[in-house]
Amino acid sequence: MSRGMRTSRLRRTAAGLAVAVLALASAACGTASGATTSVTNQDAPLTIGVKADQPGLGQRNPSNGTFSGFDVDVARYIAGKLGFNSDEVEFKAVGSADREKALRDGSVDMVVASYSITPERERQVLFGGPYYVAHQDILVRSSDTSIKGVDDLAHKKLCRVNGSTSWERVIKEGDIPAEPVTAPDYGTCVKMLRDQKIDAVSTDDLILAGYAIASGGELRVVNAPFSDERYGVGLRKGDITGCEAVNKAITSMYQDATAQILLANWFDKSGLEPTTEVPQFEGCS
Amino acid sequence: MTTVSRPPARTTPAAPVTPNRRRPGVLRRVASRMRLRTRPARILGVSALAIALVATLFTVTNAAIGDARDGLRVIGHQAGPQVVATANLYFALSDMDTQLANILLNGSSVKLGFSRDQSLGLYDQDRVAADNAAIQALRLTGNDPEAQATVRELLDGMGQYEQLAARAMQLDEQSKHEAGAAPGNVLAVHRQATDLMTQDLLPKAYNLTLDSGSIVRRTYEDKRGAVLAGRWWVGLAGLAAVALLVLFQAYLSVRFRRLVNPALALATVICLAFTIVGVLLLNAEAGHLREAKVRGFDSVLALHRARAISNSMNADESRFLLDPLRADTYDQLYLSKAQSILYVPSVDLKGYDAGVNTALDPSGMPKAPMEGFLGVEAQHVTLPGQRAVVNRVMSGFRQFQRSDAKVRTLAEQGDRRGAVDTRLGDAEGHTNVDFALYDLSLGSLIDIHQQTFARAIADGDAAVAGWNVALPVTGLVVVALIVIGVRPRVAEYR
Repeated sequence: MSRGMRTSRLRRTAAGLAVAVLALASAACGTASGATTSVTNQDAPLTIGVKADQPGLGQRNPSNGTFSGFDVDVARYIAGKLGFNSDEVEFKAVGSADREKALRDGSVDMVVASYSITPERERQVLFGGPYYVAHQDILVRSSDTSIKGVDDLAHKKLCRVNGSTSWERVIKEGDIPAEPVTAPDYGTCVKMLRDQKIDAVSTDDLILAGYAIASGGELRVVNAPFSDERYGVGLRKGDITGCEAVNKAITSMYQDATAQILLANWFDKSGLEPTTEVPQFEGCS
Repeated sequence: MTTVSRPPARTTPAAPVTPNRRRPGVLRRVASRMRLRTRPARILGVSALAIALVATLFTVTNAAIGDARDGLRVIGHQAGPQVVATANLYFALSDMDTQLANILLNGSSVKLGFSRDQSLGLYDQDRVAADNAAIQALRLTGNDPEAQATVRELLDGMGQYEQLAARAMQLDEQSKHEAGAAPGNVLAVHRQATDLMTQDLLPKAYNLTLDSGSIVRRTYEDKRGAVLAGRWWVGLAGLAAVALLVLFQAYLSVRFRRLVNPALALATVICLAFTIVGVLLLNAEAGHLREAKVRGFDSVLALHRARAISNSMNADESRFLLDPLRADTYDQLYLSKAQSILYVPSVDLKGYDAGVNTALDPSGMPKAPMEGFLGVEAQHVTLPGQRAVVNRVMSGFRQFQRSDAKVRTLAEQGDRRGAVDTRLGDAEGHTNVDFALYDLSLGSLIDIHQQTFARAIADGDAAVAGWNVALPVTGLVVVALIVIGVRPRVAEYR
């Protein structure tokens, strides 16, 4: 009997000690985890900025407000790998000029919107990826066989979109005497091209491929790539954990062939030959 | 613990010394609350508590040292070396493609400073280096299935590349062309080879480097944090154990009218010494991890990335000369890579070149803090001998940049022969040589940081060596001393 009593006392002592140690341990852990905001540990929903007006990449369906396109699918895949299922993801339209601001003021958590990585932008946002390296190319009327490469744009009417640097690359950097015709956006450029008011539109091949498919064969991409446009995943500056997780997700996207399937789904009909290997990442630090 | 299993009965006759009922001691109050009403029971209870605290002290110390060991293992012996292996792989692969372009650029000309045979020799060296680096990288991937898959894909791709390169060289040799103007059939195969290299193999190698870099970063944050927190735990557990042992000593000396219990006193001293040594050791380990990461690894990673990107810039220059149809693309690629090395805002290479010249002082150092890999490294000069080497790297980059501008100006003026000559000449002022000198200085700078890294890891390893034996032995000695100290006192009640 006494032996049983003793054991229970010892047990109680041990239990008391264990409780004390646990209490201390949990107190210490509580102070240690200074949680920083990252797309990896934030609450749902994850708000992702995408384009609303680029067929093939990011387009809003005017009837029900849903978004679709390659960028949208890529965003959904990455969000899934970050732990957000499809009903925990919210898409929001972002324009080319307000992507940095949208990330900074927190109206979006992540941007997947044909967002080229440039040194200037890298000062304001952190880029995961690139998830795809697009190339500047040329869109022409299918009937036009006079334009085979960028040099053939000399003395042709080329669309100039304010705020976009694509036309500069041809005329200023490439030193090709094309005749710029100003338009407010690429949608208008394409309309002008179909109406024979201009001869060519030059910007990223994925954007052009989307328009070529939407034209139903009336327009085609020349397939003469010049320049690399590395499409990155825009994140808040400092979110290194998020950036590394995004890169891991992109690696998986290419390893499990999702990227190849998505590229084929969205751009196969355009005549474009997309790269199907994982791009060289920019690095998170 | 055999003493516990045969305790004296509760009905033990009166204690040798009448208890002092007016002012119960701390231990007595705790003991009575725990219903340890008889003295031997109290002594045994306190002994058990002391042993438990000592066990806690040694357990938390062991855990914290384990964290330090894990950190050192991953950073110093797995992911850290993997960064170097994969960066070497990238470098060898990228240089293979550079030499391939040089070989094709050279054609059958023998008058150029850097001959076709020399390029071929380098190509073969690179091929062997790439194979070795890939094998090492595969060994270091451990059990990461994604990284393993990537290295295997790389090995497959390398085989394909070598076939394409051999085919391009064969066609090139058959065409017997002048320097600088490879015919279309050669270029077509070269494009396949270089696309495979730049769009498939190099990205994979580079991403492996980045991936290992992020493993190092995460491990550093986790394990160094754990070691720093472990320091507090060891201190806390040590103080608790020492305090209890001192109180126990005081209790025994009052109750049994003895001056000191030598065994218990020795246990107390060992505990105290162990706690102090443990806290200092963990502090030092956190310091070694920090030194290895911040002054060694971070720069090793950044500079390896810079070296990889610089090498592909060097290749872009050859490709620019070799393939006029893609010259614009290679030109733009060169610019964006140059900007990631040393950032100067500019939309074209002429502006970039002028910008670099005005941003650096005559010695080659930035006049104001700059961005880009080299810009950042130039801001963190802390190691002995580092400044002189950073200086050489910066001025080497500037010289390479100047020669590149010369090549492009000649090409623009239509003097292709002059441009190829400036590319492949064998004296300073020719990009091939200027690049080699710049790359050499970059290698020296990497070595400085690599040595700092290796030294910090070795120091960290040395400090924890032997603890897996010393720790349990010390722990058992302390427990044994407590038992030896208490046993005769309990025996008095039999």
